[in-house]
Amino acid sequence: MGYLEEMAKYQRTEKQKSFSADFLERQQIEDYEFWDEIEIGKETVIPFKFEVKAEDMIAYAEGVPDSSPVFYDDEYAKKCGYDSLVAHPMFATQVLFFVLQKGHGSWIRTPGARNPGQILEWHDPIRVGDVLTVKTKSHDKWVKRGKYYMRYLSEMYDQNGKLKGRCFMTLILPKSKDDVLRFIKGEHALEV
Amino acid sequence: MAKKLTFESVNCGDVLPEVKQHVTQEVIWKHAVASLDYNPVHTYPEWCKTAQVFGLPLPVMHGNQTMSLMATVITNWAYPSGGRLRQMEVKLIKPVPVGSTCTYGGVVTEKHPIGKGENFVVLDLWAANQEGEKVAVGMAQVTLL
Repeated sequence: MGYLEEMAKYQRTEKQKSFSADFLERQQIEDYEFWDEIEIGKETVIPFKFEVKAEDMIAYAEGVPDSSPVFYDDEYAKKCGYDSLVAHPMFATQVLFFVLQKGHGSWIRTPGARNPGQILEWHDPIRVGDVLTVKTKSHDKWVKRGKYYMRYLSEMYDQNGKLKGRCFMTLILPKSKDDVLRFIKGEHALEV
Repeated sequence: MAKKLTFESVNCGDVLPEVKQHVTQEVIWKHAVASLDYNPVHTYPEWCKTAQVFGLPLPVMHGNQTMSLMATVITNWAYPSGGRLRQMEVKLIKPVPVGSTCTYGGVVTEKHPIGKGENFVVLDLWAANQEGEKVAVGMAQVTLL
């Protein structure tokens, strides 16, 4: 059984089942952004929306794994002082990967990318029924010790235009499309 | 339900209960499905043998899973009392390959008495592998009632 089939055993939600999970698929690279081509300052409202369902929030908590009942039990969450089921703070990861499957921001899928750390802010709780829109902006890119860093600022808004959270998304990327293609073939293509 | 945590009851130097997690390929695969981050550096053991993105022939845990478990240290501590994470910044220092066992912890370093509903504390966060080496450090702001 292949690695994608192994993971398919764990897919339960509608979004998990519809997601394009093969990050090595050759065709999609044409939609990727590459470090040496990214234009700083470019801002896009991502056309794909994320309609929040309880199954999405629960699935994220299970995958942490975090068993705290505030993430699973609406009544328990209310007893703790919340108005409804709570999303795990890092639930934003699922939202961002779902909406950034192609086009501006799709560099987060890059084979060969490394995660040096992230900055997140939470402004308003995400609730079941919210329809989230992501606005993303190429914020900065730099070279440090031979590594190619990229940072985007992504903001999440609900259906009423209320800011839910912000994330400075940073990755160390292969420099060029040629380097990504080498990674897709399973070759190492980073600096020594 | 545990004893209620309040801004008044928390002091600088308070140590949060630790979280421990052994990293298997199954743990990583489940996180990939939950987060929708299927990058092969985490999910595809055969590819990792040659691509060696981190100089290792093994899949590594998602950086955002490390961050999620650092957040869990906070949510275990503050969320049963209605607390809220409002900001977190994490630096990932070392990769966490399959087979690692990591411990996650935190300590209160600052109290900010801003006003009712706005009071928050600042925490230092850390994650360490089975050798005691830090794999991540960070800080977070948490609103407490």
